[in-house]
Amino acid sequence: MSLSTPPKASFLASLKAFPSTIWKSIFRNPLPSNDLERSATSFTNFFLHIHPVKVHKNSLRPLYTFGLGLISFFLFVILIVTGILLMFYYVPATSQAYDRMLDLRGSVAFGTLLRNMHRWGAHGMVAIVFLHLCRVFLTGSYKKPREFNWVVGVILFLLTLFMSFTGYLLPWDQLAFWAITVGTAIAGYAPVVGKDIQFLLMGGTSVGQEALLRFYVLHVAVLPAVLTLMIAIHFWRIRKDGGLSRPEDADPVISLEAMPTVKASVLEPKKTYGLQGLVRGPLTKVGEIPDNTVFSWPNLFLAELFTFVVTLSAILVVSLLFNAPLEEPVNALHPPNPAKAPWYFLGLQEMVSYSAFWGGIGVPTIFVLLLLGAPYLDRGPGGVGKWFSRDRLLANTIFITFVVANIIFVIIGTFFRGANWAFVTPW
Amino acid sequence: MAVNLKRTSAEDSEGGRTSRRRMLGWLTGAGLAGSAGLSAVSNFVFIKPRATYGQPQRFSVGKPEDFPSGTRAILAPRGICIVREGSKLAAISITCTHLGCTVGAADTGFACPCHGSRFDQDGNVTGGPAPRPLPWFQVTLAPNGEIEVDKDIEIAPGSYLTI
Repeated sequence: MSLSTPPKASFLASLKAFPSTIWKSIFRNPLPSNDLERSATSFTNFFLHIHPVKVHKNSLRPLYTFGLGLISFFLFVILIVTGILLMFYYVPATSQAYDRMLDLRGSVAFGTLLRNMHRWGAHGMVAIVFLHLCRVFLTGSYKKPREFNWVVGVILFLLTLFMSFTGYLLPWDQLAFWAITVGTAIAGYAPVVGKDIQFLLMGGTSVGQEALLRFYVLHVAVLPAVLTLMIAIHFWRIRKDGGLSRPEDADPVISLEAMPTVKASVLEPKKTYGLQGLVRGPLTKVGEIPDNTVFSWPNLFLAELFTFVVTLSAILVVSLLFNAPLEEPVNALHPPNPAKAPWYFLGLQEMVSYSAFWGGIGVPTIFVLLLLGAPYLDRGPGGVGKWFSRDRLLANTIFITFVVANIIFVIIGTFFRGANWAFVTPW
Repeated sequence: MAVNLKRTSAEDSEGGRTSRRRMLGWLTGAGLAGSAGLSAVSNFVFIKPRATYGQPQRFSVGKPEDFPSGTRAILAPRGICIVREGSKLAAISITCTHLGCTVGAADTGFACPCHGSRFDQDGNVTGGPAPRPLPWFQVTLAPNGEIEVDKDIEIAPGSYLTI
């Protein structure tokens, strides 16, 4: 028996409160109107709980991050959604795959748009993830304590490339077939295990039904699962490593010397002193130190929403304007001339045209090992949180040299190579 | 706040000997790691196909009369080029030794459209990144009078079957 029975609400009043009762059962907190409720957003909302309550102002500077990491993630989300929708109509069989591509164009509502979004989103993700990697390097953000998250990031970049590579075969057109024939052959040049990897990837000795099925499973199940896990670790570590990197002078230094204290010689040994007896001036520094953080609600969340809307709009506009290419169906007897990989692999293909081992295995492996090892080789503490810091002239110069060299190879491979990979001038 | 989570060394070793608890810990760890390793290996065994569904490596290509002297017939589905000079006959691979593209006939021999490798009439590399000449396959005359090519057996370039 309860001591006080609540006043019995009238039936009509309950009915009137019905929608708001349901609403309040889902959203326990009202839209925040004071700081306590603002900080509660990160605690009480499942989708926001990954965020800190307060975020450093430096992390919100658009010209510091350009939002590249967020854009990569949003592109990944767009790719997951469009990819799942495309799966409803796709069959990973050599006899059907290409026809299904034509069906997407001709008889599936929004089929062309979804395929365009998936294709351009994938191109965009490769580009943006790479730019994100450049941003983190050029601002020295891989340094302590963020070394391992940089390693996770490099793995994410490689996974993104592998995602793109496995998706490339699925339309089963000429471009797909020959790019994968060449790509798996490059894997075959790896020392000791190369031939086994090539055989495992293709499920046989040539690109055929087995290869198509394997690439499909890798593309829609294995790699997305691994990628999702790695992204979760990547995000979790951002929080655990203290948020985004920022320059040392972004935070005020509390100097102990500046605090007026009482000299020990004036104290009487027998007497017990309270803390206020030892420190002169205001006891606590709270409120005196300039606070460089702002509440995530609304500052960070609005920035994220803005980035998402811009990303989605950009993909939509590009997908409405340009159709994803689809070449002739696979003809295993006649490679197109010249047979070219997607643009981001053309630097690799250009290098491969000089030497299959060095271009396809040697140089890329050295580049990846240098990337992975960067935070453990370059351990100087200077230059963190600033673009092109003078302190990091050597590391940045080496990095930019590699990037520019790759871009030059991509440009040569894209515009200056004609039939039989002979050098041509585009004009 | 300082809570010491370490067990004392007395619990772990009794008089320099490894305690039963630590021994069991080691055995458990080794067992779990071993099982994880074994399942990883068996996954690789699983995805490595035992049977493949490709074309047979040994096949017949027709009677010698189908290839008159001077023929250079590219049999693209088989991945070979049948060359006949007088009474001499040979089968040269048309799979590029660089990265597996199918080479096409060119004025001077063969040319690869993918990365620009060039080969002469006998399959020797004359340019581009190809590391090896195009292999020659064994050609035999089957009892029923048909030419049989075995792509599993490579022979020295320049060795012809005389008909």
